[in-house]
Amino acid sequence: MDLTRREYLRLLGAAAGGLAVARSGWSRPSGSVAANPSAATSGVIKWWDQFQPLAPLERKTFAAWEKSHRKTTVDYTVYDPNHQGQALQVAYNSKQMPDVFTLAGINVPPAQLHKDGWFAPLQFDHASLDRLPKGTLINGVTGFDNKLYSLPLYSPRQYSTLTWYNKELLHKAGHGSPPRSWDEFRKAAKAVQKQGGGSVYGWICDVGFTDRLQVHVEDLAQAAGAPGEGNVGTNGAIDPRTGSYVYDSDPYVNAVEFLVSLQKDGVLFPGSQTLDARTARVRWGAGSACFFWDGSWNIGVVAQSMKTFADQVGVGSIPTPGGGAPVLYGSVGGTFWLSGSSHVQAEASNLLETLTKPQYFVGIAEGMDQPPLDLGAVHKAKVHPTYKQAIALFQSQVKLAPNPAARNPAVLDAVAAMPNVQPPLGAVVQGILSGQVTNVRQALRSFNDKVTAARETGLKTAAAAGSKVSVDDFIFHNWKPGQDYSGT
Amino acid sequence: MASNSTAAWRGASVARRSHGLAHRLWRDRWIYVLLLPTAVLYGAYTLWPIVASDAYGFFHWTGFSASMRWAGTSNFVAVVRDPLFWNAMRITFLFVLVTVPLRVFCALVLAIVLNNPRLPTARWLRTGFFLPVVTTSAIVGVVMSLIFDPVSGPVDLLLLKTGLIHKPLEILGNAHTALWAVMAVWIWKWLGITMIYWLASLQTIPGELYEAARIDGAGAGRIFRHLTVPLLIPFLVIITLLTAIEALQVFDLMLTMTGGGPYYATQVVEIYVYDWAFNVSVPQLGYASAAATIFGLVTLILAIGQGAAVRAIRRRALG
Repeated sequence: MDLTRREYLRLLGAAAGGLAVARSGWSRPSGSVAANPSAATSGVIKWWDQFQPLAPLERKTFAAWEKSHRKTTVDYTVYDPNHQGQALQVAYNSKQMPDVFTLAGINVPPAQLHKDGWFAPLQFDHASLDRLPKGTLINGVTGFDNKLYSLPLYSPRQYSTLTWYNKELLHKAGHGSPPRSWDEFRKAAKAVQKQGGGSVYGWICDVGFTDRLQVHVEDLAQAAGAPGEGNVGTNGAIDPRTGSYVYDSDPYVNAVEFLVSLQKDGVLFPGSQTLDARTARVRWGAGSACFFWDGSWNIGVVAQSMKTFADQVGVGSIPTPGGGAPVLYGSVGGTFWLSGSSHVQAEASNLLETLTKPQYFVGIAEGMDQPPLDLGAVHKAKVHPTYKQAIALFQSQVKLAPNPAARNPAVLDAVAAMPNVQPPLGAVVQGILSGQVTNVRQALRSFNDKVTAARETGLKTAAAAGSKVSVDDFIFHNWKPGQDYSGT
Repeated sequence: MASNSTAAWRGASVARRSHGLAHRLWRDRWIYVLLLPTAVLYGAYTLWPIVASDAYGFFHWTGFSASMRWAGTSNFVAVVRDPLFWNAMRITFLFVLVTVPLRVFCALVLAIVLNNPRLPTARWLRTGFFLPVVTTSAIVGVVMSLIFDPVSGPVDLLLLKTGLIHKPLEILGNAHTALWAVMAVWIWKWLGITMIYWLASLQTIPGELYEAARIDGAGAGRIFRHLTVPLLIPFLVIITLLTAIEALQVFDLMLTMTGGGPYYATQVVEIYVYDWAFNVSVPQLGYASAAATIFGLVTLILAIGQGAAVRAIRRRALG
């Protein structure tokens, strides 16, 4: 029995009888566009994202746009990425959705949200679309029914486990360059800690932010040879050749055991178990540890909020088991979405259109957040040297992965129907690091079995609802490891 | 004839009662008008969420969609089959079993000491112990996580300097210590309110009884054992009941100090519900509501049991 929330509340309201007064505050329209006359007349574009390093650029861009659109202003909020998903969930249910937003913290596939009326199509002219690099607008990912719904701004060639380090601490410990192999990383971390005399630790990690911990493990495993990154939800470690999950493969087991070895060495900053990315970064910036794994945006945040430390920052590649060049995989995704309930869709769409201009991509680079979709913009931008190094590493190390949803958008129906896998990989690894889970291989096999079973359930549910999707949709026989995937 | 007159009398009586009720309602109309805001707010913010949450448990709903799908009892079955739910229940009731007796006992000792009229600083001390009660739990949690910080927190620094430990102790990041640390903070934070309950209870005991006992030659120990304790038992049951209910509501402190971690070591049921509603990959408000309903029922059963115990003890106390 399917009910809209309004129907459900009516039934419940009738049952509750005397609580009719309370009921009125809960009902909401079931359509995609909610009536909100005050927003329509206010001319305010409410904008939510999580890109802290880009805040100055966004404000500058909005101010310039407002000058030519005097009746409309932009109400801009930068969220902690850890909390934005919850804020959007609450906003959706209280009819206070922003007009433009990112999907940070929301793991429901955009295709599912599209079906629930979250988005409105972008009204871009051809010149704007032509400015975007070819192959970045994909039906099922950034658009639906051949209409553009999201503006991709960031390059798929990136990862979140660059080795950021404190140059002074590393040099004092007798190391001239960042470690490349896992053994070198352990040795360097130990040397830094010994040199620090108890007040400095080798490595600090955001173990308390389990979603990010999962990403670190996935990155390390890929750097150790695991295939994957299918951009199909949170659990994307799928071998494109077989369509099977690989969370229990040797690269994953070895990656987790590498983390355990660092902890056993005693080089992990105490308290990492409760640190999220922001607090870990601040501690690292304060000189508490030498190494910190993060994405390219790390230097953007440091340059903005820890200026004096920026000169001490160095960056290196993600370490690999033997020190060779890693290969990681990425795929394009939408960044900004226009709300289906917005009453300033034309204005917001016009504002988003200005973000396709070359100078905005240069601005993104200068904000030093994620790498811009047009990586060429980095060369024109004034940025910290480590940002340029990070982008160069991404360009040489990250390959484009096949995207099952781009070939068959119905894949997203199955992903949307997958039950949650508990505990998630990040929590399992946290448990391993805290000593509560002792058998790494068994824990990863159990997780792999659960996520495989969850996909089976998702496929069956989607097929029962009429979607034409099967496990074969996750198989790409023509995929070659270490190469960009350009086929379908 | 007799039956007719009885019926007429009953009818007249009912009419009078009806008239009396209407009359009383009109007479007391301002009481009801003034009660209305409370009734509306209580209905909207307490009763309605309870009813709505219980009903949501029967639907599949992510919170990201306007439509909900009927789930029957499947959410409830899934909750009962989830080992992490029972882990959360175990931690919740361990928290109650450890903290409630400690808080009630420590507060009693404190109240007895501070009830002494000859203690010159009693008022200041009462204020001092009550101060954490009026401090926001989330702020206490954040401050305490700094106090327990393994690198710069005073607890670890003290332990290191005194030589009790040789390397930083991750109190909140260690599965063996995190829950106990939160328990200690919770007891400290709420000790003041239990102390006030006990002070109020102690002050219901007439001073003449103590005077009579002393004239009869009873010492402080016997007075406490044979006079104070028996007269405090009805209060003990009520205070324990109130404290136990409060111990089931530790969400804000637990979330800010540990977030339920590491690896579910401090995940009480409230955090389990919150995680399913907001933090899992795809939030499941229906499932979270089912978990909350089951937890609510268990709590209700316990409260009813304690209520029965209160009545039984009162009956015994009244002879």
